[in-house]
Amino acid sequence: MSDRLKIILLLLPAMSVIVLLFFGGLLIGLMRSFNYMPVIGLTEPNLQAYINVFTDEEFYWSFLLSFHISFTSTLISCILAVGAALLLRRAFIGRAVINFLFQLNLTVPHLVGAIGILYLFSQSGVFARLAAEVDLIQRPADFPAMVFDPFAIGIILQYVWKEVPFIGVIVLANMQALGENYESVARSLGASKWQTFRHVLLPLIFPGILSASVIVFAFTFGAYEIPALLGANYPAALPVLAYRSYTDVDLAARPEAMALAIIIAILSAVMIFIYIRYSRKRVRS
Amino acid sequence: MTHVSIQELTKVYPGADTPALDRLSLEIASGELTALLGPSGCGKTTTMKMIAGLLEPTSGDVRFDDRSILRDKPEHRGVVMVFQNYLLFPYMSVADNVGFGLKMRKTDPTEIKRRVSEMLDLVKLPDVGDRRPSALSGGQQQRIALARALIVQPEVLLLDEPLSNLDAHLRFEMRDLIRSLQQEMGITTIFVTHDQEEAVVLADRVALILDGQMKQYDRADAFYKRPVDEATARFFGGHNFIPGKSVGGTFDGPLGQLTLADGAVEGAGKLTFRPENVRVGQGDGNNLSARVADVIYLGTQTRLKLRVGETEIDAVVNPNEVEGFKPGDIVPIHLPPQTLWVIS
Ligand SMILES: Nc1ncnc2c1ncn2[C@@H]1O[C@H](COP(=O)(O)OP(=O)(O)O)[C@@H](O)[C@H]1O
Ligand SMILES: [Mg+2]
Repeated sequence: MSDRLKIILLLLPAMSVIVLLFFGGLLIGLMRSFNYMPVIGLTEPNLQAYINVFTDEEFYWSFLLSFHISFTSTLISCILAVGAALLLRRAFIGRAVINFLFQLNLTVPHLVGAIGILYLFSQSGVFARLAAEVDLIQRPADFPAMVFDPFAIGIILQYVWKEVPFIGVIVLANMQALGENYESVARSLGASKWQTFRHVLLPLIFPGILSASVIVFAFTFGAYEIPALLGANYPAALPVLAYRSYTDVDLAARPEAMALAIIIAILSAVMIFIYIRYSRKRVRS
Repeated sequence: MTHVSIQELTKVYPGADTPALDRLSLEIASGELTALLGPSGCGKTTTMKMIAGLLEPTSGDVRFDDRSILRDKPEHRGVVMVFQNYLLFPYMSVADNVGFGLKMRKTDPTEIKRRVSEMLDLVKLPDVGDRRPSALSGGQQQRIALARALIVQPEVLLLDEPLSNLDAHLRFEMRDLIRSLQQEMGITTIFVTHDQEEAVVLADRVALILDGQMKQYDRADAFYKRPVDEATARFFGGHNFIPGKSVGGTFDGPLGQLTLADGAVEGAGKLTFRPENVRVGQGDGNNLSARVADVIYLGTQTRLKLRVGETEIDAVVNPNEVEGFKPGDIVPIHLPPQTLWVIS
């Protein structure tokens, strides 16, 4: 048996599960979104679900909100993660301690983090009460809305809190593998500290940042639980919208839910494609 | 043109108990090419980084034209360091690599373009500007790294083992290129190597560092004729060390009384002489009779292992002179007085 065949055979069980669940699910979703369900007698596919989605104003607001959540939290996470990695890579004292703190919240589930945010930042939360207690504000309810708010501050806070260590660990490993010699060369050739960062370190760690941020962006764009817990009612993030349609008492809304899910997937793919093309050009010039 | 003065430069890395570099002092005349020679791990790279401002010295001073530069940022020192493993920026074209220093100085792009193509001509790689560094051979990458350093017209150039990653034939080419560019531009240059031959061929002066300490700083031939101690002589391929006593121009030891050249050190010490200075046959003074222990043919030379009494002597001679020699033969040799040197 050739090595190649062996590898394929070894991968087969895992692959078949992935193919079955992922592509099978995708296929059924796709069929359902076209109103095509032979089992229950729907044999004539149509675009009604998509038309319904695209003619509803809430969809556009939801898209903007989801994009804002993903874009802002990815951007802030990347900046903070690179900053943290820069500080950490030279810190000899207590490196293990810092690394531990840095990685601790990787193990905390999103849901638990979200409840923490609710507890701390909502208008009846700890910070609101504290601020009222020390007379910064008159009543806890005067605390600026950071949860259930239209700008999704609470959602973004939760994502940033969770994703900074994720991106940071990747960037830090990347930096440590590179060493400092490239930067030394640049300094010696006359680059200032900032120029060295901008023209040497950043392009070198960029592939790492790119893959980490794509994962974060795609995840935050398609994730349901945080916007459901911490988000405003209207507009709701796209995945929340999809879930609402799916659980609607009106069964006719089901195809719409599927259409929304498909649209979310396509939108993520398109945005990631544009992002990779555009940012690669920018950083390397 | 810059005179470089290194004064008692010392580096102790955090957590290390012995210094990586211990009180190194060097005076390098303006426009000179000096080799920093020593085995791996003796502190050569550490020295270069401290001069370039990439590493903080524990103590000591570095002065350019009698002004301390230790407080200057690396980018303002007028020093460029070329690293051993080239370190071309992999995401840039070769031309962008060469022009990097000028871009950082915000030089006009058309001017950068002109000077880059000039530099590429100078290192004899005029057509590679558009390529990626990874598409070049090791020798070409090294030349590009050199071009990238020279384009900013540094006052002091530091080359960290520029030849050690190259094949033998490329090494000669690169050596000549470095020498000719350095002479042409008159840049004060420090050149690191662990290969004594390279140091001798390339440098005006050689500084030998062993165990973090400078042993000798001299013109190249002095390391062969007048080594300061046994370790130095050994580093340059010395083999013969004979204990004894130097009194009034003669050396008294296991080889008997040998005549020394004028000005030899007095007192107890070691007599040393180069294998290539041992002569076969009778001559002027210091005639000995030796037994051949081994004959090793090296192509252009022959190495003889000789014994005089219990003392072993290494000789390297012209193969013609020793044709027919075999182990066990008794042969006459002599040691010309001017080739003998006493280490105190
Ligand atoms: N960053 C560092 N931290 C601790 N020790 C180091 C560091 N860099 C080099 N050393 C030590 O200092 C000594 C000299 O190193 P180096 O200057 O690189 O030697 P060379 O260039 O002559 O081979 C070595 O023993 C090396 O292990
Ligand atoms: Mg070195």
